[in-house]
Formats: sequence, C-alpha cells, structure tokens
Amino acid sequence: MAKVGDGVFFATVVELSARLRAKEFSSEELTRAFLDRLEKLGPRYNALALLVRDRAIGQAKDADDEIKRGLLRGPLQGIPFGAKDLLSLARLPTTWGARPYAQQVFDYDASVLTRLARARAVLTGKLSMVELAGGGGYRYAAASMFGPGLNPWDPTRWSGGSSSGSGSAVAAGLVPFAIGSETWGSILTPSAYCGVTGLRPTYGLVSRYGAMALSWTMDKIGPMCRSAEDCAHVLRVISGGDSKDPGSAGKTFYYGPQYVPALKDLRVGFATSDFEEWIEPAGRPDSVKSLEILRGLGLQMKEALLPEFPYSAVAGLIIDAEGSAVFEPLIESGQVDELADQKQIAGLKAGLEIRVKDYLKAMRIRRLIQQELRKLFIGFDVLVTPATRGPATQITQALDRRSAGLAKPRSRGLSELGAAGNLAGLPALCLPCGFAEGLPVAIQLVGRPFAENTLLAIGHAFQQRTDFHRRKPPGV
Amino acid sequence: MLLTRRELAALAAAPLTAQEAAPQPENPAEELKAAGERLRRTAGTLTKYAVPMDAAPAFSFKA
Repeated sequence: MAKVGDGVFFATVVELSARLRAKEFSSEELTRAFLDRLEKLGPRYNALALLVRDRAIGQAKDADDEIKRGLLRGPLQGIPFGAKDLLSLARLPTTWGARPYAQQVFDYDASVLTRLARARAVLTGKLSMVELAGGGGYRYAAASMFGPGLNPWDPTRWSGGSSSGSGSAVAAGLVPFAIGSETWGSILTPSAYCGVTGLRPTYGLVSRYGAMALSWTMDKIGPMCRSAEDCAHVLRVISGGDSKDPGSAGKTFYYGPQYVPALKDLRVGFATSDFEEWIEPAGRPDSVKSLEILRGLGLQMKEALLPEFPYSAVAGLIIDAEGSAVFEPLIESGQVDELADQKQIAGLKAGLEIRVKDYLKAMRIRRLIQQELRKLFIGFDVLVTPATRGPATQITQALDRRSAGLAKPRSRGLSELGAAGNLAGLPALCLPCGFAEGLPVAIQLVGRPFAENTLLAIGHAFQQRTDFHRRKPPGV
Repeated sequence: MLLTRRELAALAAAPLTAQEAAPQPENPAEELKAAGERLRRTAGTLTKYAVPMDAAPAFSFKA
C-alpha cells in the first residue's frame, strides 16, 4: 500500500472512500495520519477536547477487516471524523465545553455516535465548543473552557460558535468531517466563518439522545463537511427515528438527488437588501456573485420577504427559558459562576425568572410563524440569504456589538431567516461562496421540512461551478 | 523573569486561553441586572404582539 500523503487531509469523504476501497491505504493508516494531525494541530486552534487514539485505531482495524472481506457498508466506512464535545461517549469525559462539567462521564454513547460506529466511521476525537452551547447568551469568543475557537484562516479571528472546534477542525484538515449541533446558528456560523459546508437538518430528523440539551424544542444535530455531497452521506447515516429522543420525527434521510425536480423548476427566494445592505460591505461582492451563480444554474430567482414577526425575540426567549430550566441545578448550586463568560452566567440566572405567560406567548407566536412560513413556501422551494452578517469576528470583539454602526436595511428582506428557520425547524445548508478580507463568506439555503435533498442538490450543483469549498487556509 | 528568544516565540504562537481573550472583569451584579432588563424588554415586545385565541403553543412541536 502507498504511504498516506498530505493529499488526504483536504480530500472529501467521497474521495477518501474511493481510495480506501482501491486499497491505496488502509483505514488504520488513514486514521493514524489524522490522529497525529489532530493531536499536533488541534491545540493550535483550541479545537481539540479529547483525542481517542486507541479507540480509533481499534475501530479502524475493524473497518479494514470488513473491507478486506468485501463487506462494504457505505462511504463512511473507515473514514475518521470528530464530534462536538456535547455528545456523550461512554466512559470518557464529555465536558459540554464548560468547567463545571470538566470531569463529567456518561456510561452510554450518543445515538449519533452509535449510528456512525455502525457505519464503521472512525471517531478520532471530541471537538471543543462554546460552553453549554452558548445557553444564556455570551459576549466573547472565549466563552469556553478550551479557550476561544481560533479560525484556521486567521487565528486572530474566531471560528464561530457554538460548534467552534468542529468548524476549525474541518477547515484545517484535522478531520474529514465533524458533527456539530445547532439551536440557533451553531452549525451555520462556524461553517460560514471557517469556509466549510454545514447542514442543519430538519428538527427531529437526527436523534439527540446522548447530546446535551439546551432547548428541547429547538436543538438539532448535523454534519460539517467539505462538500454538500459529503453532508448528504453523513446525514444518511445519522438520520432516523429514535424512541429515546421524544423530538424524533421517526423519519430517515435517503440521499436521492435524482428525485429532486430539475433545477430550472425550482423557485429560489432572495432579498436584494440582504445582499446589498444587510451584509457588511466587505462581504457584499462575493455574496452578490453567488446569486448570479445560482441564477446560472437555471434556478428561478425571485424576490421574497419574510412575514413580519419578532423572530429574534421569540427565539431568544424560548432558548433562554428552556436553557435556564435545563441548567437549573447548575444555577442553583452556584457552580454556574465557574463559567467563563459573565454575560452567559447572568443570562442563565435571569432566565429562571422568565414568566410562564411570556414563554407561552413566545410559543404561541412560534405557532403562527410556522403557519406563515408554510404559506411562504407555497411560492418558493428554497430561500437564500448570506449565512452571516460578515466574515469571522476578531477574537476579542464583543459579539453583542457586531452590528453597532451598521445602517438598518430599507427592507427586512429575509435577514431574520436564521431565527425564523430555527423556530420552524427548517433545514439549512451553508455553502462557502467567496472571501472578504481573506476570510470565508457563505450563503445559506433554507428549505421546507425534510427537503434536505433539494438543498443538497442545489448545493452540489453550486459546488460543481465553484471551488470555494475546496480552498485551504494559508499555511495550514 | 528573563525569557529566551525561543520562549518568547512560543508564547507569541500559543493559542489564547479563555481568560486571556475575554476583557475582564465585568461586574456580575450589573450583568445580572442588564440580563433581567433584556428579558423584560423581550417580554414587552412579545406582549405587544396580538395572537388569536386559537393559536395554541407549539408544544407538540413537529417541523
């Protein structure tokens, strides 16, 4: 077998899988190469929570044994990956990125990790995250017991949160793919900041059993990869009903781009104001070009407008109320004061005082939001906006002051699609679409519930025309 | 304490820790007060929003 070369570190899952099957190298060789790289470079980006070397090598040997016997399971077989440290891994620390849980150990694996193990994917490490996935709201990138997630494109910039390590690790070629989670922005933001392709699945499509809860009605788990096609292969494995997750939709995702209508028949909604006013000036040129690329794919591009709702207020109040309820024992014990971010500590404490009537009001408005978005999607198959307001922020920048000084767009457009999509449980795909000041920028595609195949088909076509998802950070 | 050039270079290259990166300290009492006010403002926004009687909370949440 040939020696594993540096070329593997930025290859897609699909490419690595083909090379494994062609016996260019074994899973064990591939895994050892990624383990060494993760161990060496993970700390440079504050991305590594826990290396699981012996376990990984054992899993890789099992995968090799099956491949040798011709027992082929799918594209993830023998492929290394990393998982956000919010997922429990039996008998090993699961910290949730928070000092009070630094010694926490569970005796079971999260369902997502069980499914990936069954597919013979190889877990090489747990990846860092913002403490408690940012429940309570945080002001600084440093809101993590691992330190701020540093961006491989520029380590003075943040990798985004709360799946910080997952974003950095994929971008720096430390893992071929990673698992992240999103309550509101935690897959899409690090994917956009780090220039990786991230998928937030429909609420209920992926089991959250064994994952830290932040908001029972909004948490989702999803893949962060090098391409839309890789996201599809990972989602295929991790999706599916699970009686251990009360929010499970009991559905499974099957990757079937051939069953998606022709791109020329798909109607994509966008708002000019999002691309020309809402996004920071540096990010505008490449974001605007992405609309032209989508148009060039034959998609029907039409102006769209979100129905008027207080999306951010509703999402914020629900997450605050549910997050503070989840962490009530931590708050009442006083250990909450061990968290790194003062704003987060205060937010969690204050959340316990939210009145029942206010939570119910938020949940009732949420019902209306779901109904109105359903109507909006009668006229559109997909909505597209910039994934974030701009490229990655400076590590020391106060995150709650990012928009200060930016003029309010003339139209609300679709700029609140992040909050709206999460409230309605809609799937979203983050696609790198260019650069601003040397840092990645991205768009997000949002679709109807369980329309992941539509998003992935557009994403795959977009990535056939562009190479932003294949670019490597300088010096990595 | 004197540092060698190599030690200085290592320090410069070392990742930021949580404590180093966050401007400190903020006043916990003021933060708590501000968080409470933020929540009251948010609740006020929602209170003003009229919701029909038959809009049940999205408890049995399915996408």
